Amino acid sequence: MAKKKIIAFLLLLALVFMQEPKAAAYAMNTEDHHYTYDFWGAVLKSIPAFELAYTIDGNTMDITVSGLDDVATGGGRVFLIDTQESRLHVFDEEFAYVTSVKLLRNEERKIVLDENGNQVALTNPEGVWFHESQNEIYIADTGAERIVVLDGDGYYLKRLITKPDNMVGVTQFRPSKVTVDSTNKIYFTVQSGFEGIVELNQSGTFSRYFGVNKPVVDLWDYFWKKISSDEQKSKMTKIYAPAFNNLTIDNDGFVYATTVDTAAEKQVFRLNPKGENVLREKGYFPVVGDLKVENKFIDVAINDYGVYALLDQATGRIFLYDFDGNLVNIFGKNGDLRGNFKAPSAIAWFGDKLIATDKNLRCAYVYEMTEFGKAALGAAKSYYYGEWEESARLSKEALRLNANYDLAYIGIGKYYLMQDDFKNAMYYFKLGNEKEFYSQAYNGSRSLWIQDNFIWILAVLLLLAGLLVYSEIRYNKKKG
Amino acid sequence: MRAWKEDLKNLFYTLFHPFDGFFEMKFRKKGSMALATVLLVLYGLVSIFNTQYTGFIFNFFPLHSLQSIQLFLLEVVPILLFIVSNWSTTSLMNGSGTIKDIWIMTCYSLVPLILFNIVTTLLSNVIILEEEPILTAFYYIGVVWFCYLIFCGLCTIHEYTASRNILTLFVTLIAAIIIIFLVILYFTLMDTVIGFIETISTEISKRW
Repeated sequence: MAKKKIIAFLLLLALVFMQEPKAAAYAMNTEDHHYTYDFWGAVLKSIPAFELAYTIDGNTMDITVSGLDDVATGGGRVFLIDTQESRLHVFDEEFAYVTSVKLLRNEERKIVLDENGNQVALTNPEGVWFHESQNEIYIADTGAERIVVLDGDGYYLKRLITKPDNMVGVTQFRPSKVTVDSTNKIYFTVQSGFEGIVELNQSGTFSRYFGVNKPVVDLWDYFWKKISSDEQKSKMTKIYAPAFNNLTIDNDGFVYATTVDTAAEKQVFRLNPKGENVLREKGYFPVVGDLKVENKFIDVAINDYGVYALLDQATGRIFLYDFDGNLVNIFGKNGDLRGNFKAPSAIAWFGDKLIATDKNLRCAYVYEMTEFGKAALGAAKSYYYGEWEESARLSKEALRLNANYDLAYIGIGKYYLMQDDFKNAMYYFKLGNEKEFYSQAYNGSRSLWIQDNFIWILAVLLLLAGLLVYSEIRYNKKKG
Repeated sequence: MRAWKEDLKNLFYTLFHPFDGFFEMKFRKKGSMALATVLLVLYGLVSIFNTQYTGFIFNFFPLHSLQSIQLFLLEVVPILLFIVSNWSTTSLMNGSGTIKDIWIMTCYSLVPLILFNIVTTLLSNVIILEEEPILTAFYYIGVVWFCYLIFCGLCTIHEYTASRNILTLFVTLIAAIIIIFLVILYFTLMDTVIGFIETISTEISKRW
């Protein structure tokens, strides 16, 4: 009897301790339900790749913050722009407050005066960019119609770039968002400027407008142009570049730009040095964000291995795409809960973290990768750098955490294709609905099959040829 | 059995000699209603087969939501619509073909489509993306052949000239649109009537 009791007790104990292990900490701080799109455009449940880790707001410094409008990172620091207060805030790697810049000082820490003896201060700046190779901070000082270049360490004024004399066109010199490429060329957007992105040389002279849409003239347009008078022609709307609202640059010197212009064909652009859009869109769908909701992308951030984040103002969602244009993940939303957006304004990568600012909530959210995010983005990273095996391993890990992550199937398939393991490759490509690569794998497996069975194919062909000859002979004989 | 063999032989002859074949069919009663109907059903079945078994590379149909009956109707109803609207126009435009003639002629003409649908379906399983033109070519051979048969068949059974035939085809299209309109109108009205009866019966059942 006692024995039975002990056994029962032990069983009870086992029951208590055998409870499901606590779910792995793939999303410790978020309980959001996220989604993704499959090949057919159906909405599937998904896990966020990033979760809120830290919030930077007015409480972390002693200065009033009236809204954050742009964020830039580099040199282990985060730069935030407050347009209304005309300030640049600097934070270090641990997101501790470093300094704030409003009045511009020269190298001797003296306040810079202009020719009239007034202090030179930031005036409603809208954009900031950290130029790593020259250790310079570029601020688009929109209100004062100039670009301010600060030293990256001392935060003193290096130079001011005002409207160059050789600038053409009707676009005002009101830089809104600015970026600098590896050859020190400066690109900036002008809000609702329809002539494209302005490109300046290093010295600050005007170079050209960039990313101008090539007008597409179809037969219908031609017909109307032909029959209309000069007066009518002048009234016709000309085809301009979309009004780019934000831009960034990747390691290869391609400018990524976004627009909310409804007249624009695309919302996201990857512009080559000629100014043509060469965005790769090899995913299930083009790079449009949501399929049924109209998104308004207001910022784009790209990291070293080509994964770019698009910040959507309309829904407060962040869309991650890899360099091929595959949708990796969707997370974040507008709302009133902690970590939700009211008026998202800018986004930037900070190593493996993402920083997104909100104009209304006057804060910047720091996102860190979840376990799933580490696997999914790790796979994208190792694939980008050619480490196929590591990529396949991480893809499998991502699949274990999120079976709706179709991109991982394709990743694994590519690994097997690389190994000439066509059967497995086909299996995974089929799961990932990747027809192009499936076709390649099938091609390989078909050639192998033909090699293996060549003798039989030859035999059948010979037999057919023999039959044909035989019937011809018989037919001719019959005819006599 | 023998009759079937004879019918198939006629069908085969018609495929390659449409004018003679359809002439024989109309004036020497060599067409078979039964065979024609079988061909029509086969056409519907083959289109289901085609959707389901086209190779993965070329299959963009969401197979997880495939509905065979819907697919079948989607393929067969337009043919029926064509037969009816063509009959209604040609009987007004001095066409001498009866509905039986039109039925048999149309269904016989479906044979190339059936054959090439099967061929492309099977072929799509063993070719790669770069070889897609082969598939398209086969498909269009079927379509062109089908159109040719229909055109010749209409000319023959209605005793039309080519230009008059084209005119009739155009009117047929308009007639088809009118028929669709009437069908939709009918169903909408019936919906209202049924709704009305439903409301009344609910009302009555609630009161007593």
